[in-house]
Amino acid sequence: MTQTAGSHTEMLVIDREALRIEVQKKYAAVAVAPNDDYHFHTGRFAAERCRYDMDAVDALTEHAIESFAGVGNPFDLRDLEPGEKVVDLGSGAGFDSFLAANAVGSEGAVVGIDMTDEMLDKSRATASEMGATNVEFRRGFLEDVPVEDGWADVVISNGVINLCPEKAEAFREAWRVLRSGGILQFADIANGNPVPEEAVQDIDLWTG
Amino acid sequence: MGFVDVRIGEPVDTFGGATGEANARTFDVSGYSFLAVKP
Repeated sequence: MTQTAGSHTEMLVIDREALRIEVQKKYAAVAVAPNDDYHFHTGRFAAERCRYDMDAVDALTEHAIESFAGVGNPFDLRDLEPGEKVVDLGSGAGFDSFLAANAVGSEGAVVGIDMTDEMLDKSRATASEMGATNVEFRRGFLEDVPVEDGWADVVISNGVINLCPEKAEAFREAWRVLRSGGILQFADIANGNPVPEEAVQDIDLWTG
Repeated sequence: MGFVDVRIGEPVDTFGGATGEANARTFDVSGYSFLAVKP
């Protein structure tokens, strides 16, 4: 299916299914071979670059860290509070979900959402490895989040909305799953120079 | 949607030193943190 890219007011087009397949290929590789060469940094180096609290990072296992491929720090502007319920949109191998799980504690809960099976397999295995009982991972898309209305106190995300061709739908879903008074805190890339139409239509540039 | 109290953090040179740096520089791409409240 061909969809509008970015907002519904834009006329640029990208094939949503083809883009999803390419994104899944890319991030499946990051799940199973996190130290290969990608167009972005991964793991602990990327976390340091994104100004994470490395003491909090060090509390995680290596499997929770090595496939991190975020572009910023969703906890930069606000720390999570104990007891909060958190949804992580595009949770990948679970790095931000596990940091969130440690921050909200046993009275809180974290639900990570991802569309890539290899990432889901890895995040679930790491949750078992860490004995994390307040976090779970569900398969889903940012445009159709498998979480009930108003469940979340906080929605986080890191470097995933930019990979979503229907960004307005992703933000509507974030709005839907948040309670009134809930907080959307996420990290993503933004461009200072305009991206020409032919570049927006180039799937290789979306994923690399 | 009507998110309020939107805040944006300081940029991160996300792709600096990575193989994606050239494309990132072309389009002046950086990582940012965002915060917004659902009233």
